[in-house]
Amino acid sequence: MRNTTTSEVQLVGDETTLNIARAALFAALVGAFAYVSFPFPGTPVPVTLQVLGVFLAGILLGPVWGGAALVLYLAAGAIGAPVFSGGTAGVAILLGGEPTFGYLWSYPIAAALIGLVVHGGLEVRDPSAVGLPRLVGAMVAGTAVIYALGTVGFVFVTGVGVVEALLATVAPFVVPEILKMAAAVAVVRSDAIRAG
Amino acid sequence: MIRTEGLVHRYGETTAVDDVSLTIDDGEFVVLAGANGSGKTTLVRHFNGLLEPDEGEVRVDGVRVGDDLLAARTAVGMVFQNPRDCFVAATVAADVAFGPENLGLPREEIDRRVATALAAVGMDDRGEDRVDRLSGGEQARVAIAGALAMEPSHLVLDEPFGGLDWPARRRLVAHLESLHRRGTSVIVVTHDLRDVDRLADRVVVLSEGTVVADGAVASVGPELVQYDVRPP
Amino acid sequence: MTLVYEPGSSFAHRLDPRPKLAVQVTFVAAAFVHTTPAGLVVLTGLTLGVLAAARTSVRRSLWEYRIVLPFVAAAPLLQGFTLGAPWFVIEEAVGPALAGYRVLLVLLVTAAYVRTTSVRESRAALQRLVPGRTGQFLGMGASFVFRFLPVLQADLGRIRDAHRSRLGTERPVRERIALLAIAGFNRAFDRADSLALALRARCFAWNPTLPELRYTRWDVPAYAFALGLAVAAVYPYL
Repeated sequence: MRNTTTSEVQLVGDETTLNIARAALFAALVGAFAYVSFPFPGTPVPVTLQVLGVFLAGILLGPVWGGAALVLYLAAGAIGAPVFSGGTAGVAILLGGEPTFGYLWSYPIAAALIGLVVHGGLEVRDPSAVGLPRLVGAMVAGTAVIYALGTVGFVFVTGVGVVEALLATVAPFVVPEILKMAAAVAVVRSDAIRAG
Repeated sequence: MIRTEGLVHRYGETTAVDDVSLTIDDGEFVVLAGANGSGKTTLVRHFNGLLEPDEGEVRVDGVRVGDDLLAARTAVGMVFQNPRDCFVAATVAADVAFGPENLGLPREEIDRRVATALAAVGMDDRGEDRVDRLSGGEQARVAIAGALAMEPSHLVLDEPFGGLDWPARRRLVAHLESLHRRGTSVIVVTHDLRDVDRLADRVVVLSEGTVVADGAVASVGPELVQYDVRPP
Repeated sequence: MTLVYEPGSSFAHRLDPRPKLAVQVTFVAAAFVHTTPAGLVVLTGLTLGVLAAARTSVRRSLWEYRIVLPFVAAAPLLQGFTLGAPWFVIEEAVGPALAGYRVLLVLLVTAAYVRTTSVRESRAALQRLVPGRTGQFLGMGASFVFRFLPVLQADLGRIRDAHRSRLGTERPVRERIALLAIAGFNRAFDRADSLALALRARCFAWNPTLPELRYTRWDVPAYAFALGLAVAAVYPYL
């Protein structure tokens, strides 16, 4: 009747399947956030919400699957999904093809770090029960990782000095980043958000 | 054959399926009718082990579903409500190939199954189309093809007519009829018996998680309205 | 509209994805090593060749990447600028300007890949290059991202439209962002539930049959090209 060698099929477990689905959807959302920009007070150019996606991936999915979500984001971009800033894609971009490549590599690390601090370990707990200092501290640490790698990447690709790089990659984004942290806190504290 | 024995499923305090014992034979065309919240969807999700029973058991071809998930999931194909949300790939053929690929079949066999399944729902030559550009009726048919490519003996369709206009609905019913004629047992979950009544060997009516009527359309018909099911 | 795969019959379409990935990787390496006027002239010729092989228009690709271009131009301006006379030092700006031009060439080469390689081929390549469950996670996960990126973009668009008509734009930015994020993440959670159910029903497995990849004789020149770029990248260090 059916010529299947079904005994060799290794099904992905139910819980892992759900985690993979969430990681993929979060990765797609971070990609979609690259196309959503808001005008920020004191910032000349509109700023996208990608970093907010990184914050919330770590906070809502925890260190393991939050980090995994951003790894999928990089993998999808590497094989051609237009998820990197400006709708770019391709493995060459991850290898320094574009000035923003340091940011890209920082995302999974930042999401995992934020998840680790917020959840106090690898186990995922209810993020709405986490205290404000820990939540903000986690995001500040994550942002530090993003800026550090982002600036190093910018210097490496463009050949400008560190001071110029900081002027280009950090200075304009301080205010937006603080507002995104405030927004992330509001999201986590909201009754309307579905917790994992 | 799908057989449930004293099946109970609870969501917290609420009992969604309450002591259901039901047998669906190979080759049957069964309509599982009931109002929203009557437990239809919860019941059928036990047929291929998407849910685990709180009490009782479910057997597919004599084997307990929990003991061999793979066997249950290949024997019982499932088409979900809102098929659009359930496509796993961006193009039609890639989506339909997903099930057989997971079974580890050789490539030629996968290609054959994809072609056969798409032909069975009248979507041959549409393999390279993007799934999100299809109409609602086409999406429903591609979702069915995705289940058919596993070559299941039973095909479960959860509210397949939601959001379809009348021509799309008629075309879908015609495809179900031809599948049934070729030997697949078809289980349609719906709150609306129009169009499917003439195909159904049997109508099972669910209310508040229990089976309240089970029989031919003619015998069950008069009772449907009291259970908020739209009669033929 | 961003740059995406379009079916076609160009030379690059017929290639296996693996040599195309190899060309991208070695091109970046060679471009980094030869970010000099002479080197960039040669690389420009090669880039035009790659785009011709992919039948991809230079002008259209640049237009698709227009958002990125100001950032590329900003670096030399920033570096050349000094506080006080003469305000702009050209020698300072040369290095970043060459680097900016290199970025442009790399973007065009990636455009050729994106335009000519389907998701299916790309993920098959990924699953072959990274073995085992890691490769399956990356390959399938990335293909789900491809599938749901336009879906979530449409979700976010609808949510923003609804907020605009309901809330107006007077609310503080922080609040508007939070509302958008809540709605967006809830959509992502719901769609993940549906996807997980669909995956389980269709026997999502760690060891599926992979899409077929088959080398043809056309891949020989593509690999030779990648090899040439690799040699150019390491040659100065020998």
